[in-house]
Amino acid sequence: MIPEIWQEVIHFFITLIFTLLFVPVIPLVGTYLDRKILGLMQDRLGPTYVGPFGSLQSVVDMVKLLSKEDIKASATDNIVFTLAPVVFLAPVITAFVILPFSPYMTVSALPTGIILYVALSSLDVIGVFMAGWGSNNKYALMGGLRSAAQMISYELPLVLSLIPVIMLTSALGKGGIGSISLSDIIRAQMNPWWLWFVLIQPLGLLIYYTCGLAETNRAPFDLPEAESELVAGYLTEYSGLRWAMFFLGEYANMVIVSVITTALFLGGWSGPGANEGFWVGLLGGIGGGIVFNIIAVFWFMVKLWAVIFLFVWIRATLPRLRADQLMRFAWLVLMPITLANILISGFILLIVPELMGTVTVLQVPVQVWILGAVNWVMFFVYVFLLGRLTGVSVTGKTPRWMKRRVLAQAKAQPAQPAAQPAALAQAQK
Amino acid sequence: MAIDAENQQVTPEYIEGAEGFRSEEMVLNMGPQHPSTHGVLRLVLTLDGETVVHCTPVIGYLHRGIEKILENRPYMGGIRYMDNADYLSPMLNETAYAGAVEQLMGLEPPRRAQYIRLMTNEMQRIASHMVAIGTYLLDLGAMTPVLYCFRDREGIMDLFEALGGSRFNVNYLRVGGVLHDFPKGWLSRLEQWCNTFDDSLKELENLVAGNEIFEARTQGVGYIDPQQAVAYGLTGPNLRGSGVSFDLRVDRPYMAYREVAVNPAVRQEGDAFARFRCRLDECYESLRLIRVAMDQLPGGPISTRTPIALRPPRGETYFAVESSKGEQGIYLISDGSEYPYRAKIRGPSFVNLQILPELLRGHKMGDVVAILGSIDLVLGEVDR
Repeated sequence: MIPEIWQEVIHFFITLIFTLLFVPVIPLVGTYLDRKILGLMQDRLGPTYVGPFGSLQSVVDMVKLLSKEDIKASATDNIVFTLAPVVFLAPVITAFVILPFSPYMTVSALPTGIILYVALSSLDVIGVFMAGWGSNNKYALMGGLRSAAQMISYELPLVLSLIPVIMLTSALGKGGIGSISLSDIIRAQMNPWWLWFVLIQPLGLLIYYTCGLAETNRAPFDLPEAESELVAGYLTEYSGLRWAMFFLGEYANMVIVSVITTALFLGGWSGPGANEGFWVGLLGGIGGGIVFNIIAVFWFMVKLWAVIFLFVWIRATLPRLRADQLMRFAWLVLMPITLANILISGFILLIVPELMGTVTVLQVPVQVWILGAVNWVMFFVYVFLLGRLTGVSVTGKTPRWMKRRVLAQAKAQPAQPAAQPAALAQAQK
Repeated sequence: MAIDAENQQVTPEYIEGAEGFRSEEMVLNMGPQHPSTHGVLRLVLTLDGETVVHCTPVIGYLHRGIEKILENRPYMGGIRYMDNADYLSPMLNETAYAGAVEQLMGLEPPRRAQYIRLMTNEMQRIASHMVAIGTYLLDLGAMTPVLYCFRDREGIMDLFEALGGSRFNVNYLRVGGVLHDFPKGWLSRLEQWCNTFDDSLKELENLVAGNEIFEARTQGVGYIDPQQAVAYGLTGPNLRGSGVSFDLRVDRPYMAYREVAVNPAVRQEGDAFARFRCRLDECYESLRLIRVAMDQLPGGPISTRTPIALRPPRGETYFAVESSKGEQGIYLISDGSEYPYRAKIRGPSFVNLQILPELLRGHKMGDVVAILGSIDLVLGEVDR
């Protein structure tokens, strides 16, 4: 038997190599799938020329980027401009340390995983802002400013939307003690194995995913690099390797958001066949462990790529918000609903055991069931209200149903065509 | 803010903010090489933060002297150059030019030629609106609709290729008629395309029209008062989006439009969404008109017998058609020779562009592209 210290060392190196390989593979596979899925949705082929079904296209692109001339505009702030991609990329790669692909395939199962993730994800904005400022370009500056405002605003609901999940682990854990370790949260969702938190906290997932889209600057929140307005935003002056670093960072960021979504809401590695006890009993300690971990990684990857697919789908479907609408959405819609979610979740988790005692239905405490039911109701109410009230809450203008009434009035009196648009003009001001 | 008109430069002024915090207006050159200025328009924007304080459109980067070229070509030869003016709707330009020369000569094209012109005009209108809608949505960040639009437009391009031998600069119309009759099977191909386009137009509408973000971006943005629209001389969907029902096909019908009834799409709101909606509704209307024209298509000759070298009598004329952008007019003076003495194009995009600085003032930077796209400029015709 190998001594424990060597087991630790081997574990560290296996997971480190796996994770470090995972980082550059993401943009390669990601861009290829991105293009192919977009092509499928947009009634075209996507890349077809390089390799079978164009699968080497992203490799060729990467080679092109790496072999490009290093162009630096003469008026840039040199140090800031050069450092920006590094500052952007470093925290992203660091965050990969905590990602739990399977019980074994975790570089460091930090007991404070969520805190580290939140801290690292908010560091990105510094790199983006440095890029915007250092480029000495007006488009880049505006992109950087937009991005700083956006990332800071969406950081808050993003963090707060995770709190109900932590509360849930305390309700499910032994002795009412919760956990902020990603692996522990996944384990809390495996007793029984189908108890994924998306069933209990759909609203939390929706808010987290929305904020994740904004945090990673993906459509419909891709304002910092809004191509049609700001050319390429803070990336305008970047090319070649530096641009590739930003690109890598963005893709890696997207994967991290997807991993966190998978781990916190979609049950992590749980799935049919991912049962450690069964495999260890069947094949013995090491063989069973290997088989179990492969199955666990498989399920994790399936869920991960499903979430990434959703990213691409949203990108293909939705137009972009305007900067002020984006801010209003964060502060007037997402913040209140997140706080309400925390309050209601906490209230139910505290008050129900007091009233009913510890009742267990289908191996799950009854307060969790009640919380799930309430949260689904809140989810649909939120989606319905968002659809109804977008006019008011996001744009600060007349909502559609009100506008329809105004239009009907205008149709009833066609003699004064100017009377109705004047009302709209007021709404515009 | 001081504007140096000669050098087209805007000197920003310092703004005294709250608590003595000094901020400065920023001058941003948007274009002529910019992804969403629809060609080579240059906008000199003065921004206070993200708010537009002042905007100066600078045009002329695509000037090719088309009007002067027209004066140096025989009447029949000018048609080919009209293709390049508004390069998204060559058929409509050709109709305007051919109609003007016919009016000058007192010609009336045969009925079949008139119906062929109507069909190709409406097809061209759909093609132009498809580009307008698609690129507009691309400006707003939706990347899928533009590909759907171009896919549908491709069908029209193929049909035009079968007609005139060229996809883009069709050069199909002639003074007194059209170049030649439909090729074999062309009408059934057109009917097939109409059926597929019917579906894909509904698909496009489902994808776009009810989208919350799209509505939030366009509704109430770039509002044009009806009086203001008339005062600025706007025409086309920009005018009809403000609730003024003015369509040359109805109000000054020409050629086959005298026999085919047109229902112009009019919206009351006057904002960018209304203009977008007008274009989409016009596509439905154009599709209906194509089908009506196919049903009523008369037989007979496709062209009057006109000599190659036309010599219209001395005089002047103005003839306008309802182009996809608005009133596309041609003013011609003939001195009795083979060449026009003077040719002037009344371009709808050029006239519609005038209202842009007025519209942009006070809007956010993100709205600049939303408004610019909703006006639907074609720089080839603005600069000519």
